Amino acid sequence: MITVLDPGFEADAERLVLAPRPGLLRGATVGIVSNGKAGTKPFFAHLGRILRDEWGVAEVVVRTKANYSAPAETELLDEAVRWAVVFTGVGD
Amino acid sequence: MRLSARTFAVDADDVQAFYRDRGWTDGLPVVAPTPERVHAMLEWAGAPPDLVIGVESVKQRPLTAEKVAVNAVLAGCLPPDFPVVAAAVDALCRPELLVHGATASTGGCAILLVVNGPVRHELGMSSAHSVLAGPDRASVCIGRAVRLVLRNLLEVRPGELDRSTLGHPGKLSWCLAEDEEGAVPWRSLGAERGVPAGTSSVTAFAASGPRQVMNEWTTDPTEVLDTVVAEIRAVMLHYSIWPGNYALVVPPQLRSVFHDAGWSKADVRAYVHERAVVRRGDWERVGKQAVVNDANRNVEYRALPTPEHLLVVAAGGDAGGFAAVIPPWLGPKSAAVTVGVGACFDC
Repeated sequence: MITVLDPGFEADAERLVLAPRPGLLRGATVGIVSNGKAGTKPFFAHLGRILRDEWGVAEVVVRTKANYSAPAETELLDEAVRWAVVFTGVGD
Repeated sequence: MRLSARTFAVDADDVQAFYRDRGWTDGLPVVAPTPERVHAMLEWAGAPPDLVIGVESVKQRPLTAEKVAVNAVLAGCLPPDFPVVAAAVDALCRPELLVHGATASTGGCAILLVVNGPVRHELGMSSAHSVLAGPDRASVCIGRAVRLVLRNLLEVRPGELDRSTLGHPGKLSWCLAEDEEGAVPWRSLGAERGVPAGTSSVTAFAASGPRQVMNEWTTDPTEVLDTVVAEIRAVMLHYSIWPGNYALVVPPQLRSVFHDAGWSKADVRAYVHERAVVRRGDWERVGKQAVVNDANRNVEYRALPTPEHLLVVAAGGDAGGFAAVIPPWLGPKSAAVTVGVGACFDC
């Protein structure tokens, strides 16, 4: 037997804590963060309609990142703190 | 020197399967990262295990010398390679390179490393034949070490964080040493980017696949560069119109054309910068008329924001009127970064 080492990153599990999961979305303010790609506009518009019409969401706030390859700006993250749920994703 | 990475006791015959089954390899055989080998790597560089080489800015992950060394051993690096690997990882972590976006993008770029300075000779790196395809042990292993760092420390695995639609072969390993002393010497890329004489450096660049051009029927440097400019314009029409860093790799035969005409790298950059221009309306000829309209048809787009955005690199085999245009991943989103090997010249 030989001893070998782990090449992966080992500390994330200790640093990251999931936010509390929300209950119902009825009456909530929900955010949608688009990466800015053209295809996200109709997709998120449709998602917004579903959230309002079928899930009773009070307000859907749609924001778009300035750079689709970089993290969301600080101002956007500060605003997101007020939302019950955020929808975002990776894609074109 | 105390290591802190998790350890495993593995039968020597099972090492390959052990790393492969955990997704810790690129599929090629690996060298077992034993504590002894990792110690040797760190001792060569005089780096304590907990030295933070860089912090990847999106995940806020500190990449320690120990973890980078484990991946360098896996990739087949020898201890003298480690300072170059460490410099490359340092470059990756600079915010202007935007490694998260570059490696996660559907655009499918690779990280190209250009090595300058005395370390090229110490590691036996070749700047000649097949220079874009891993011509020697050190070039291959250093490039692969960066790939394994991305994979194992930053989760850049195909289909996971790596969302490349196609990618290109440079993603496996892409590192080259510039030919600084050949028959047709040019000022090195490192020197042009502010590295003091006698200091080795690594320039990292989020790069699309290389596009080979040929013009061996002229001794006029402007005609050679007209071929290069045509290729860059083609990139702007067929791929991305946005301006950013481009690399131009020039082997000796075409370098002699510039040398005989008294042209420096700066002259090459100025000529290409001036002429590598397209209009949005040119997209109508290549099937992209959907994004051309009366308001933008005559808007000009320049490949290079400044002449200095062209990274001119001397490298390649001695015969052949070829050169390579290496486009950026995506315009200005990522900038090339140059870092000293075992030295800091900008801190």
